[in-house]
Amino acid sequence: MAAIEAAELRRTYKTHTGTFRRRAKEIEAVRGISFAVEPGELFGLLGPNGAGKTTTIKMLITLLIPTGGSARVLGLDVVHQAREVRKRIGYVFGGERGVYERLSGYDNLRYFAELYGVPAREQKRRIEELLELVGLKGREQERAEGYSRGMKQRLHVARGLLHDPEVLFLDEPTIGLDPVGAREVRATIASLTEAGKTVLLTTHYMFEADALCDRIAVISKGSIVAEGTPLDLKRGVAQGSVVEVEVFGIADEALERVRALGGVVAVAIEEREQAQVLVVQTEPDVELTQAILSHLNGSDVGRISRREPTLEDAYVALVSE
Amino acid sequence: MIVAARIFFVGGLTSFRALFYWLTPWIYIPTMLIAPIFQILLFAYIGRSAHLRSDEFYVIGNALQYSSIPCLFAMAQSIGGERFQDTLSAILVSPAARIPLFFGRSLPVVLNGALVSAFSLAVGSLILGVHLPASSFAPLALVVLIAAFSCTGLGLINAALSLRIRENAVLSNVIFGFLLIFTGANVPLDDLPSWMSTAAQGLPFTHAIAAARKLANGAGLGDVGGLVGAELLVGAIYGVAGFLLLRWFETISRRHASLERS
Ligand SMILES: Nc1ncnc2c1ncn2[C@@H]1O[C@H](COP(=O)(O)OP(=O)(O)OP(=O)(O)O)[C@@H](O)[C@H]1O
Ligand SMILES: [Mg+2]
Repeated sequence: MAAIEAAELRRTYKTHTGTFRRRAKEIEAVRGISFAVEPGELFGLLGPNGAGKTTTIKMLITLLIPTGGSARVLGLDVVHQAREVRKRIGYVFGGERGVYERLSGYDNLRYFAELYGVPAREQKRRIEELLELVGLKGREQERAEGYSRGMKQRLHVARGLLHDPEVLFLDEPTIGLDPVGAREVRATIASLTEAGKTVLLTTHYMFEADALCDRIAVISKGSIVAEGTPLDLKRGVAQGSVVEVEVFGIADEALERVRALGGVVAVAIEEREQAQVLVVQTEPDVELTQAILSHLNGSDVGRISRREPTLEDAYVALVSE
Repeated sequence: MIVAARIFFVGGLTSFRALFYWLTPWIYIPTMLIAPIFQILLFAYIGRSAHLRSDEFYVIGNALQYSSIPCLFAMAQSIGGERFQDTLSAILVSPAARIPLFFGRSLPVVLNGALVSAFSLAVGSLILGVHLPASSFAPLALVVLIAAFSCTGLGLINAALSLRIRENAVLSNVIFGFLLIFTGANVPLDDLPSWMSTAAQGLPFTHAIAAARKLANGAGLGDVGGLVGAELLVGAIYGVAGFLLLRWFETISRRHASLERS
């Protein structure tokens, strides 16, 4: 039995615009996605802003009812067996909101320990363990309002683990963390699967997904566009190569001309410090560096390099199709 | 069972601390302890100058009715406040049984409301020289508690609405005004238009105020049993209705994504 199973899962939102002449609008946030996560697996859901990742998670954790399809967690239906599902899952969302600012970190955890029915005599030991795990030991008696963003985020992680759930849903758990903090949270996540937990994770950081996930589904505009191990996904574009050109200001027309070149798979612009980097993925065995440069006349060009594709390149190619 | 009891007592108290952080002594003392005295004095002096009722009549009516401020506002805040801290989804995704979860939050509200009433009753009586027989203290305390319970029941409906509308403070103020006029706090029910005194039978405070006045005049608790029972019933009906409304909003929020922060 799969730990998490989504079958043709679908969700639309109805919104209204205008105060007087109200017009209803439907947004198809998730358009019939199916996937299965095996017990003990760490499964990544990647996709651009608004792709439908959070909506998918909300359906799986019983906060939203699907408008179509069905989903099971540990074999339990997320609509009809919501309470049973809730007992067995943990939910962590990124960001610094969602903690009781005026309660201490310890009391935040204690309150949720009550809600999850952690027996009173186990609470203290459990909370101590988790404080140790997420590295908040020694600061737990301070009010959460004085915590840094990363500390609040780690408090979220601890909260999600209080009742020792079998399945964990982590929605961008490292968003906004500094590199050291993010690394610590990643180490915590990695240790979860070692302890036999099933984890569904969303993130915008490709290296994070690459390092952590056993399998990844890339979701774009509400549909899954690719699924596989990080290696599978890289192989999808691995025949080609990537040309990176540092430019200082690039015109839209130049970008369009590069995109139109024969042999180009995908084009993206990355902002880096003072410069922008034009990232061009090419088909195998074509040498486009000169052609690309010839279309960039007029722009100030810096360093030029060629490299093997990364997971991020695979991702860019997938979601820009 | 133990889990539910702990969610009710420990959870209720913890969430009160979490959500009422802004209630510093600088806010609490003027709004909860001084303002009701002003209200008592205003009506008592109007009553004196127009030769209407005794000071005791106004002290009791207003001291009890004023607990609607903490009961209505605090009850709405104790659930609606989750929205502002973005903690609502974490609560709703927990398996905690909803009866102790929601009713647990009303316990500190009831106790606080009763405290506010008892304080203004005592201080108002002292200032105006109203003499209450010592034998009435204990039964009066009970009636004060029941009045706060009853109004908190109405507050639970208010709390449910706070999940849907943002203008909750406006609503609380309007209800406060209703209670001021309808419940016999300042105008005897017999002097109100008959539809108003009929409506009053379904409002918190009406029966508690009547009971408290009788107790102050020497009646025993047994003499006001009917009134006390009616007050309890009114509160229980509102409380159950408020709880059902909360559950209903929770259910439709899963369908319409309507509890998102807006
Ligand atoms: N409560 C809501 N009401 C209306 N539309 C919504 C609501 N929540 C999300 N949406 C819309 O649904 C789509 C998917 O949103 P969702 O939050 O699932 O994306 P996401 O993949 O999590 O994005 P991000 O990476 O930015 O977190 C978006 O177009 C969003 O605007
Ligand atoms: Mg999201």
